[in-house]
Amino acid sequence: MLLLPCPNCGPRNVAEFRYGGEVHPRPSDPMAVTDDAWTDFIYMRANKAGVQKEWWYHRSGCGLWFLAERDTTTNTVLRTYLPRNGR
Amino acid sequence: MTPDTPFDFAFAGRVYRAQPGDTIASALARNGVRVLSRSFKYHRPRGLLCAAGHCPNCLVQVGDEPNVRACMRLVEPEMVVEPQNAWPSLGFDLMAVVGWLDRFLPVGFYYKAFIRPRALWPWFERFLRRAAGLGRVRSTTPPGHTLKKYLHADVVVIGGGRSGLQAAIAAARAGADVALFDEHPTLGGRLNITGEETAAAERAALLAQAAVQPNLRAYTQATVLGWFEDHWLPVMQGNCLLKVRAKAVVVATGAYEQPLLFPNNDLPGIMLAGAVRRLLHGHGVKPGKRAVVVTNNDEGWAVAAELLAAGVTVAALADTRLPDGGSARALPGVTVFWGHTVARGEGRGTLRRVWLAPLTEGGESARPTQAIPCDLLVVAAGSTPANGLLYQAGARIAYDEGIGQFVVQELPPGVFAAGRVTGRMGGDAAAIGRQAAAFALGETPNPAPIADDAPALPAPCYRPTPGKAFVCFCEDVTAKDIATAVAEGFDSLELVKRYATVTMGPCQGKMCAAASIHLTAAATGRAIAATGVTTARPPMTPVPLGVLAGPHLEPLRRTPLDEWHRRHGARMLVAGLWHRPEHYGDPTAEVLAVRQAVGLIDVSTLGKLRLTGPGVPAFLDRLYTTRMGDLPVGRVRYGLMANDEGVILDDGVTARLGEQEWYTTTTTGNAEAIYEWLQWWAQAGWGQGVHITDVTEDFAAFNLAGPQARAVLQALTTADLSNEAFPYLHVRQFDIAGVPCRVLRIGFTGELSYEIHCPAGFGLHVWEALLEAGAAFGIRPFGVEAQRVLRLEKAHIIIGQDTDAMSDPLSAGMAWAVKFDKADFLGRRSLVRVNSLGLRQRLVGFEVLTPGVTPEEGLQIVAPNGDGRPAIIGWVTSSRYSPTLGRAIGLCWLPADLAARPGAVFTIHRDAGPVQARVHHGPFYDPTGARLRG
Repeated sequence: MLLLPCPNCGPRNVAEFRYGGEVHPRPSDPMAVTDDAWTDFIYMRANKAGVQKEWWYHRSGCGLWFLAERDTTTNTVLRTYLPRNGR
Repeated sequence: MTPDTPFDFAFAGRVYRAQPGDTIASALARNGVRVLSRSFKYHRPRGLLCAAGHCPNCLVQVGDEPNVRACMRLVEPEMVVEPQNAWPSLGFDLMAVVGWLDRFLPVGFYYKAFIRPRALWPWFERFLRRAAGLGRVRSTTPPGHTLKKYLHADVVVIGGGRSGLQAAIAAARAGADVALFDEHPTLGGRLNITGEETAAAERAALLAQAAVQPNLRAYTQATVLGWFEDHWLPVMQGNCLLKVRAKAVVVATGAYEQPLLFPNNDLPGIMLAGAVRRLLHGHGVKPGKRAVVVTNNDEGWAVAAELLAAGVTVAALADTRLPDGGSARALPGVTVFWGHTVARGEGRGTLRRVWLAPLTEGGESARPTQAIPCDLLVVAAGSTPANGLLYQAGARIAYDEGIGQFVVQELPPGVFAAGRVTGRMGGDAAAIGRQAAAFALGETPNPAPIADDAPALPAPCYRPTPGKAFVCFCEDVTAKDIATAVAEGFDSLELVKRYATVTMGPCQGKMCAAASIHLTAAATGRAIAATGVTTARPPMTPVPLGVLAGPHLEPLRRTPLDEWHRRHGARMLVAGLWHRPEHYGDPTAEVLAVRQAVGLIDVSTLGKLRLTGPGVPAFLDRLYTTRMGDLPVGRVRYGLMANDEGVILDDGVTARLGEQEWYTTTTTGNAEAIYEWLQWWAQAGWGQGVHITDVTEDFAAFNLAGPQARAVLQALTTADLSNEAFPYLHVRQFDIAGVPCRVLRIGFTGELSYEIHCPAGFGLHVWEALLEAGAAFGIRPFGVEAQRVLRLEKAHIIIGQDTDAMSDPLSAGMAWAVKFDKADFLGRRSLVRVNSLGLRQRLVGFEVLTPGVTPEEGLQIVAPNGDGRPAIIGWVTSSRYSPTLGRAIGLCWLPADLAARPGAVFTIHRDAGPVQARVHHGPFYDPTGARLRG
């Protein structure tokens, strides 16, 4: 089981966390984007083979939502940090 | 626990005497029992082979526990041991006839045979299930007691042999907290069994050194099942699963002795050298009377000398090597055959004699020349590194032509290898232990060098002698089967594995993986290195599912009134983790009490959130489809939440308690998810000036509902409850029965009602006070079932029952709860599009026309399609008989055009016959809402 370093609590078993999916910012003005672009935002993910920026929630811990950079090919976590200015 | 005098146990219905310290296998060997099991496919008799927990030959049933490795389990007084896979008995197994039919059961037969005629399959299946397989799981056995424990260590050492002990002691001396795991009952590994005089002394010295290290914990009969990321190791110890987190891991798992490939190489009486030495030196048991030894290295000579010393006749020693003078030692009375191997074994049931054959220049065995009577054949023909855990950890392992083995080339950070698992004998394990300690304590960088100056581990011989030579003892796969599989086109190792099932049995390749690689390489004409290896996966050893499952524990949430409910005859139902009263014996009476007098329901399971701060109005307006930001102090509003897909997430009410304080409820089932959802949007950028606290368990909550609710409540408070002072959709804070409460005038049931939230610790007091005050008014506590009926009479939806992951608020008939004139909110963009495209399905109420029928929830709604056959056009989400209205009502999804026509009749498909129903718009009861506003 992976150890995930929570920015508050330090390295903890990944079972304490909830995965929040890859980071894909919400359009700041949804009404300004086309239907296709909006559909892509809702349903399409990059599913990257490589370093991916993603959300994690320390569910059984401090309740923090934070960001992780994880290499999806090796499952190594390069760093974790707090979101700043809305992702 | 372990007895210190001889005792009795039973095997296959007979009683035997065991000595203290015996395993089941050694006790049976002591009593001359040679046949321990019948093989998987051909039901051939099998006896003790490895005595090291690797092979499948000694799997037995102990009481209700199947597949126990007899060589690893200490025998206990009165233990009842049964053989497996034999019928009617171990000695006379009728299924052995399968062995004569083997030409009809070729490799991969389960893909070819028993397929036709299909009608006979149930019979074939019953036969095959009985014929093949391992132990018997008795369905009457009560679930065993299993445990899970967590364990942390700086350094975990896997394997308690010489190298493992040395590494563990060195790591502990270097200051690391060390945990050592060994799957045998005693530490020491091969030091227990070599019979060398120095070995016992060395073992004692190592154990003494280990014992004085307070930071070294040793676990025996503890099997490491696998390696997972960040050095997370599941370890099975008896009925306990240890979950171990290490900073560094030393793998010192040693090597697996390998069998020789010759016809009848599976006869009981043919044993690997380690098994013979374990019986001789570990248990003082003579493994036979007259032995032949076959070897390709010096170990065979040592075992021969030890057998002689124990008084066993050694008739012959065959060494596949040519005489080099160096290995020979004086073996009085033993005929030595240099350059010979065993060509075949013979015997009915157990070994009677072996045929020896000289090896040609090319290494083939020639025609057998010598038949030597014996009851024991000792096979000392090489080992393969037990490096499965290293594979799992991501070590680079490659074939080394020089020593003829797959050996570890490169180790991942924090993983170390010591001893024979490296493919070499010995090496400086203490240095490895110190490196691991340094890594764990953050002192030096990895990777550590892998010792390569020690002599190579003798590699096994994989050249089969023609005939029925077993490669895989688990699944009865012969050398010929592998050649056949390749000839049939399964020409890569992974395909051979899947087709022939070699390496797929209980031993998981410990006895056959290397041989299958060499035989596949020979059959395909490819090099060993190019043939590769199959992927090593957890578990390393078969593990009972109960051990993985752990104890039978489920989290359970109880409301502050739980005990009261049970005392008053509540039938409880499970709602998520909560237990809630479904009813107190008569749900219909509970419904009528609410409609006609007054009722009280425990709604403490609602999610409850406290929001504070100046940013809350804007935040709520973004999260809810309803308007929330302008909610005045003292008011309550229904709220509906959607996601950006426009799908309904949850609903609840929000009360504004103060200028900067809001109190929000969520549905019972979604409480945690909605809290996380709000936290995400707050923490991800929308949360300036917003503070969210989950206060679900801080408050008990009850709904006092019914025409007499005001009168009941007034008896317990001085607050002005008049409709003018405290109208519908308002919140007030006042004392009830002396307890400060927040009271919300809302009405899920459709009656005048007060939702009372009080500190959880006072819940029972307030609840009992309300019931006491209500007694004069005919109050009844009511449960979830009555509430379901009451809300259905008002056509109020339940999120998750009437809606699913495709339901948007517009289709669900809640357009009134979507405020498109607000600024951006979650779901707005998608709902604008839904609005412009028009609705396809709608959630709508229905009344049942067919008398006496209440359709079950989930039934399909059908209509004839073009060709006259029924097509599904909708489904029922809620359905109840309404005692208030005297007929069955419900909610359902229908095509929008049908749903739009009140009174339109449609058909619900039901096994007992079609049910007619008609569309109904709005609440079934009190459509104007006069009662709840009154």
